Amino acid sequence: MKQILTVAMLTALLAACKKDQYYLYNDIARIQFGPTPDRIYTASFEMADTVKPFTFYYEPAAITQDTVFFDIYAIGGVSSSDRPFTLEQVTLQGEQNAVPGTHYKAFSDASLKDVYVIKAGQVHASVPVILLRDTSLKKGNVKLQIQVKANDQFQPGEIKKLWRRVDFTDMLSQPAAWNTSAGLYYWGKYSQVKHSFMISQTGEKWDQEFLTFVNTDYALLTFWRLKLKTVLTDYNNAHPGAPLTDETGETVVFP
Amino acid sequence: MKLKYQILATCCVLLMASCYKDKGNYIYKVPEDITISGVETSYDKVSLVDKISIDPKVNSTDPDAKFSYWWGIYETNVQGSAPKVDTIGRAKTLDYLVTQPAKGWVLVFGAKNEHTGFSKIITANVNVVTQFTRGWYIMKSDGGKTDVDLFLTPSGIAPQSRLENVFSLVNGKKLDGEASLFGFYSNYKSNVTGAYANTRALFILSDKDASVVNINTFKEIHGINDLFYETPSAKKPGSISESSQANYFVNDGHLHSVYSMSANVGLFGGKQLRDDNNSPYSLSKYFMAYPFENPFFFDETSSSFVSATGTGSVLSAVTDAPETEMPANRNNKELLFMGLKSTYPYVGIALFRDKTDPSLKIISTISPSNYAVKIVNDTLASTDKLNKAERFGLIIEDENILYFSVGQEIWSWNLSNGVEQLQYTVPAGEKITFIRHRKYTGSNATEQPFYYNYMLIGTTSGGSYKVRAFRKTSGNLATTPDFTMEGKGSVGDVIYIAPPVSNYTYPNSY
Repeated sequence: MKQILTVAMLTALLAACKKDQYYLYNDIARIQFGPTPDRIYTASFEMADTVKPFTFYYEPAAITQDTVFFDIYAIGGVSSSDRPFTLEQVTLQGEQNAVPGTHYKAFSDASLKDVYVIKAGQVHASVPVILLRDTSLKKGNVKLQIQVKANDQFQPGEIKKLWRRVDFTDMLSQPAAWNTSAGLYYWGKYSQVKHSFMISQTGEKWDQEFLTFVNTDYALLTFWRLKLKTVLTDYNNAHPGAPLTDETGETVVFP
Repeated sequence: MKLKYQILATCCVLLMASCYKDKGNYIYKVPEDITISGVETSYDKVSLVDKISIDPKVNSTDPDAKFSYWWGIYETNVQGSAPKVDTIGRAKTLDYLVTQPAKGWVLVFGAKNEHTGFSKIITANVNVVTQFTRGWYIMKSDGGKTDVDLFLTPSGIAPQSRLENVFSLVNGKKLDGEASLFGFYSNYKSNVTGAYANTRALFILSDKDASVVNINTFKEIHGINDLFYETPSAKKPGSISESSQANYFVNDGHLHSVYSMSANVGLFGGKQLRDDNNSPYSLSKYFMAYPFENPFFFDETSSSFVSATGTGSVLSAVTDAPETEMPANRNNKELLFMGLKSTYPYVGIALFRDKTDPSLKIISTISPSNYAVKIVNDTLASTDKLNKAERFGLIIEDENILYFSVGQEIWSWNLSNGVEQLQYTVPAGEKITFIRHRKYTGSNATEQPFYYNYMLIGTTSGGSYKVRAFRKTSGNLATTPDFTMEGKGSVGDVIYIAPPVSNYTYPNSY
């Protein structure tokens, strides 16, 4: 009899296998970084633009500051009033960290009082990070890692989306679009010597904007790869026994 | 006893599953058969002029059938975007003014029996044409300038009228230099319709200039100055061809390519390198190419065959195939002519002259296998007419014969046995400038009056040209041409264009 009851109860339990209802977000307001709004629903771009390289190299000498933007999102719906959010610098161990007031304008700077805000009726904002052209940037890179900090409006969101980093300099630096794939198939290993050679031989900047443009057209990519390979070959032919070598002593090559 | 109850209970549970009401349909009917007639398989219409007027007959085996109708039209030969069907009617009878740009379209007719829910859909090809989309194009030069004449063929392959100098008429300029080579590609990428898509494009090459035009309007898409990502310093077009998913342009002896299997804007890339040392090279204007095979060029500097890929930076080396009678590299030969003999198997014919002994000429059969070539040679005797040949024209795919001219005579060379035969002598005073075999065949019923298989012989005399279109039988020319096209200048190339002509219709060759 006990077995019959067991079978009956198990059968009754099957009735519990009904589809659960959806739950609406009812947590407190949180804030986190994300990709640009056009890519917010594309999973592969979830961690895009986490680190942005930047250089003042191409800017005229009169330019003393420039701005890098990140995208930040509020979670938990919109508000009828503006909601400030708070950022703080994270010190990176073993790295040359940016110094507020020297390499970037501190987030607490009075001129930025109304900048770090999610506007009323919005859930997205562009986060400006104002970089300062300090003379030390002529000699090396500094890193500025930032993260969101809880305040009276927002608690931090997903842990992996709480930070962003700017790696900046006043020397030639590897543009973000010269990524692993571009290096493997088109431009090869990055070096400042190679980058400078590309600029001097072609008259193009080979900066983020130009590389992004070239990336839109495979035929154009192929054209520039061939062009660079040709001018490098001609350079090496004109300098027998002394091929172009980079700052680490490696011979410069294009794939 | 307890066990019996348990078995009984289990059986009862299982037996309950059989208490299922059978809702099956056991009424077997013959499926409804909807037939549509009165719609042709193909229509040729002039944009903004012609209407498509169709009153189809729709019948069904369902005696209670009550139909609703739908007409649509969509573009064919689209790349990079999905074609969108435009609804152009919801009545049974269609009377639609064609407004689409000239190219291939598909007309769709759907009839739905509202009683049963069954539908029948049929399609028909619509070739939207202009006066430029059908006819014989003749590239001719006059006074160091090149232009194109169009001979209209409204009802059959024999031309009925001529539009002179259509290139300069439409584009307000002529090409510099002497007429050289046509190349027609229906997959050339341009944005003539507002977005980059396959465009039916005709390349016009002279020895000093080049242009690619939209065949539907004859408007120039690119001239030689904006046909490349980087304008070449010297303007000396040699050839245009399509092979291994790329278009190849030889200019000033250097190879430029555009890979056609990825998004592109129709511009050719930089000069491909001969090798990793950027050694000098100079490609002959003669070539072998076929869309599904590797291209083969001949470097006159090193007397070597080379190949290429559409995406490569460096020309591909060619090796010797087994049983070859002459090395593919550094063979000390000068290429006097090379053309495509057949596409399957992929075979070409070449005429070489030895660089050390210029009196030594050989005719060779080139059989590529991937990037290797087997070369089988036949040395010409000093008495052979072919030794003195001036113009060449291979019969492609048909008979195994090479045509050539000596003075005012057209001769044939049987590639199987080396027998020469006089085929035709042009009238006194005429100079032979052009020989080419062109063939356009198929199974399209509406194109039957336009299919042909001709040896085209071009001559010039007193500043005027004649192009005679000869039929051939067993490789021999008919005694008289089917028709002759005449105009001003000297002929470089001739091509027949019709709406169904694509980049696969004519093999790429001189």
